[in-house]
Amino acid sequence: MSPVLELKGLGVSLRRGGRDVPVLDRISLAIAPGEMAALVGESGSGKSVTALAVMRLLPEGALLAGQILLEGEDIAQASESRLRALRGKRAAMVFQNPLAALNPTRTVAAQIGEVWRMHEGGGRRAARARALDLLAEVGIPDPAARLDDYPHQFSGGMRQRVMIAMALACAPRLLIADEPTAGLDPPRARQIMELLARLRRERDMAVLFVTHDLALVEREADAIHVLYAGEMVEWGAARAFFAHPRHPYSEALLGAVPHLGQARLRSIPGSLPEPEARPPGCRFAPRCARAEEICGRARPPADVAGNTVAACFFPLPAAARAGLAAAPAPPRVFPPLLEIKGLSVRYPAPGGWLGRRRLAPALEGISLTLGRGECLGVVGESGSGKSTLGRAVLQMIGYEGEMSLEGESLARMTPAARRAARRRLQPVFQDPRESLNPRMRVGEIIAEPLRLQGGLSRAARAARVEALLAQVGLSAAIAARYPGAVSGGQAQRIAIARALAPGPALVVLDEPGSALDVSTQAMLLNLLKDLGRRHGLTYLFISHDLAAVSTMADRIAVLRAGRMIELAETAALIAQPRHEYTRALIAAAAPGP
Amino acid sequence: MMAMTARRLASSCLSLFILVTLVFFMAHLTPGGPAYSILGQKATPASVAALNQRLGLDESLPRQFGLWLWHLLHGRLGYSYLLNRPVGQLLWVYERNTLVFYALSIFIGTGLSLLLGLAQGVWSGRWPARLIGAFQLGFYAMPSFFVAAMLILWFAVDLGWLPASGITDLRDPHPGLASFAAHLALPVATVALFTAASLSRYFGEAVHEELGKDYVRTARAMGAGPAAILLRHVLRNALRPLVTLLGLSFPYIFTGGVIVESVFNYPGLGWLMWRSALSQDYPILTAIVLVIGILTVLGNLLADLANGLLDPRESYE
Amino acid sequence: MRQGVTSWLGRRPGRHGTLAAGLGLAGLVLFCGFIAPFLYPADPYAIHPAQALRPPSRLFPLGTDELGRDALALLLSGGFSTLAVALPAAALAFLTGAAYGFAAGLGPLWLDKALMRLLDVALALPGLIVLLFFAALVPQTNLNLILLLGLISWPGLARLVRNEARAQRGRDFILAAEQAGASRAYLALVHLSRIVAPVLVVNATFMTGDAILSLSALSFLGLGVQPPQESWGSLLESGLSLAALNPWWLILPPGLLIFAALLAAAMTGQGLLTSWQGDA
Repeated sequence: MSPVLELKGLGVSLRRGGRDVPVLDRISLAIAPGEMAALVGESGSGKSVTALAVMRLLPEGALLAGQILLEGEDIAQASESRLRALRGKRAAMVFQNPLAALNPTRTVAAQIGEVWRMHEGGGRRAARARALDLLAEVGIPDPAARLDDYPHQFSGGMRQRVMIAMALACAPRLLIADEPTAGLDPPRARQIMELLARLRRERDMAVLFVTHDLALVEREADAIHVLYAGEMVEWGAARAFFAHPRHPYSEALLGAVPHLGQARLRSIPGSLPEPEARPPGCRFAPRCARAEEICGRARPPADVAGNTVAACFFPLPAAARAGLAAAPAPPRVFPPLLEIKGLSVRYPAPGGWLGRRRLAPALEGISLTLGRGECLGVVGESGSGKSTLGRAVLQMIGYEGEMSLEGESLARMTPAARRAARRRLQPVFQDPRESLNPRMRVGEIIAEPLRLQGGLSRAARAARVEALLAQVGLSAAIAARYPGAVSGGQAQRIAIARALAPGPALVVLDEPGSALDVSTQAMLLNLLKDLGRRHGLTYLFISHDLAAVSTMADRIAVLRAGRMIELAETAALIAQPRHEYTRALIAAAAPGP
Repeated sequence: MMAMTARRLASSCLSLFILVTLVFFMAHLTPGGPAYSILGQKATPASVAALNQRLGLDESLPRQFGLWLWHLLHGRLGYSYLLNRPVGQLLWVYERNTLVFYALSIFIGTGLSLLLGLAQGVWSGRWPARLIGAFQLGFYAMPSFFVAAMLILWFAVDLGWLPASGITDLRDPHPGLASFAAHLALPVATVALFTAASLSRYFGEAVHEELGKDYVRTARAMGAGPAAILLRHVLRNALRPLVTLLGLSFPYIFTGGVIVESVFNYPGLGWLMWRSALSQDYPILTAIVLVIGILTVLGNLLADLANGLLDPRESYE
Repeated sequence: MRQGVTSWLGRRPGRHGTLAAGLGLAGLVLFCGFIAPFLYPADPYAIHPAQALRPPSRLFPLGTDELGRDALALLLSGGFSTLAVALPAAALAFLTGAAYGFAAGLGPLWLDKALMRLLDVALALPGLIVLLFFAALVPQTNLNLILLLGLISWPGLARLVRNEARAQRGRDFILAAEQAGASRAYLALVHLSRIVAPVLVVNATFMTGDAILSLSALSFLGLGVQPPQESWGSLLESGLSLAALNPWWLILPPGLLIFAALLAAAMTGQGLLTSWQGDA
């Protein structure tokens, strides 16, 4: 069967700082009807550029090389009017963040119908009927009632389905999905993935699925293409790839994805090179454990073995992928540190200036005890109240119920004692850029808690900052920089160093790795785990990612709609979940077909 | 939607009450008080006391305030000290002139700013947008009385094409529409140019911003052409800041620009305010400030409601 | 006419050229106001009836007015009184606005609500109308003018600072500082001031321009700087009152100087903004 899409030696240069910088080189792939190909890479790998290049949606000034064959027609240099006829009709695209990608002020029926009418003509009524069919096909409950709703009235997952319905309006032969599950929690991401897999089978449609999330595509993709620094490093049949990855980068990347119950994650040293500073030979060589002298000089050959191809001088032997690490260590026993009894949080309704309405509780009746040196994981979907729990523990918001630190009730402390106690409860937030003042130097940021605490000379503070930086694996030189000049992973380490500065009893980790790439997240989680063991730190680890939590937590609490529905030892929770919702979370996090 | 409208309405009412209170006390707590303003700084205590009694200014402040509110609610805005006519009646005479003048100016100005803003947003960074930007900067920095003065020198004095001031020719006992239009030409041109310069900047900015948003890329990915994107998607979303600004300029439709009306001696409400300020006719001043405040609050309310219709998210918070 | 001081916050590609041009113009305006009066010693109030309403000549570089006074000398002394009132007024408005904004932005919720409600009302009245209202009620001494202009033109900045402070307040780095024991004053002085500084500086320049414009408008209407003092606005007005005789040399120079002052403020502000956006 002839492929729907074939890329032959696709290269892209973008205008950056007044120069043409090559960001993508020699991309070749083919997708047959009914096939789902996954294009996998970390941020900066060029995967989204590839997707946009296929649709010819790159910003002005982009230069294309090679061929883009859409059902045999080369569209790499096609005119804009020809492209308009093809876009939406024969190839359609689904974007990430559908809230922004859909027009906020038009109803979904109008937006879906518009695509159809643009290409097929047809009247308003027919377009509406078409929109109804499509909404039903993508699994929107009660679609007839939702036709005249606006995008903001849908939930995240449903919104992405609307976007997919829009892309399907003219029955395209090729569907490109660019990170369609970004921002969704794992069960919802999995549902979108399954929807796309079903649609491609039913419609015999080719799908190019662009993602950073290897675990997500493991079950459904037919073919995998791994991108690193603008080049393909390994590609071939998905099953063979997941069974035994052969390029050192793919192998490391797979090892960095947290799996349920895994004790330690693989992390990759170094960071992705900027497009302007890519090494001449193998682009992964500087970070590769297997690299030899030749890797730095020459471009690696394509090594074919079985159903996969690795662009590597020294590919890994085609042995089965190392099994997951054994079950976590036996349960440890901890003396109690923080006791929570009957904790409830209610937020006041926004906007009302005539008396204050109160909303349904964000959190209700939470009781648990955190042990000294323990890591307690808290999982739940967005809106489950998990972040609220973190903020209540940090004493950032008001709450009802009782909370005591080392036997002393936090609510009944004098203001001064409470301030001192709060200092011993430190946060690490999700977005490292948001958590550092962009106009303060790194050294100043880490020294701030010490300065507020008082009692240290300037020199003593500087020494302490240096020690803290060393603890999180950063050089002292970074103290002079501004947050804008450090990478995301470094920024998060700086945030950790600041949290450690006042010598906290408890650190609340609120989705600490979710804003980062897989390999950076792995490095960070490993770091946190090591720091915890070394300094006897107590963690409250909040995340929507059960797999990530399970790699660190001694116990896991599952939150849903403000209530704690399950709390158990990590191993026990995974082996014998008692609640149905927990089972669904575990199913969504489990790898493999 | 209903709940939001009710909330906005209630909020506006509170604003109005505070405004009315503020205006009353502002007027009464100024040094000397209104009696001195009328009689001049050399007034004798006896004449001041007499006037205060005549105007009811010798009552206690809360009582005065209550009385004033009561009159206000019945539409009685007091008497002009100097013209000795009911303020409400005076306002209406001048109001008619301003209404014609300003509605016309804002209409033309808005039309112009739509065209300019669209061009600026679409060709952002290229020469047409730069040209429009220079026009906007120029009119931002140019005082309106200077522009008006230049127009008078050029079109009225040098070329002699148009009259420089007034509303009709006083020598003509039966002024026709043509005379009226000729007198309006220069003031309308001035206000329309300033309106266009300031509104088009915000609108152009909004068009440019909307064009960079994700949903525009989606529309392109679905095969929409530039015209369809602009008209069906961008225009509506970019109109929202413009509507807000139009709401803000709503009171000017009634008061006119004080400056432009005084330069052209156009007998509108702005001109009346200017004359009253010069002659310290304080009931008129208070009434005008009050009317403008009320209209501004109403204008904001209208803009909020219009934006609620333009953007479904607004009514949803 | 003018919607607050947030104007020109557009993102046009301006680079440093705009800033340099703005500062240059500002220098020129300040020179005219404060230094040139000493370099051109002619008495602005000396009357030469024989020379009334003459166009520019060697003797009178910018001509004479209807009383035969030296127009250049009048222009320079008018510049001095314009700037001597407008600049302190802008400073007063700036301080009031910033303090009010920080108080609302950092204070407890009830204070914020009360202050913002008051601000809504203050913003509901066009500045010039309020100015006229008050200017009519008090004698127009220079001190009163400074107080009037200063106490009337701050609400725009107050709202901006308040919104900025509110927006920053929930940010993670503020929360982290609070967790480490930071007080409100510390947050305002150490964290917010650094974030808000660009907004403040840019608006200070815009407010200076606005003060010059408001004062000129007031003077043009006869309610600003009072005779025998002259100002750019009053000079323009007296020129325009003779419009039938087309005395362009009395109208153009004060108009152009006001234009230059406003242009200087707008371009300096815009230039600062773009250069800051560049490095943030």
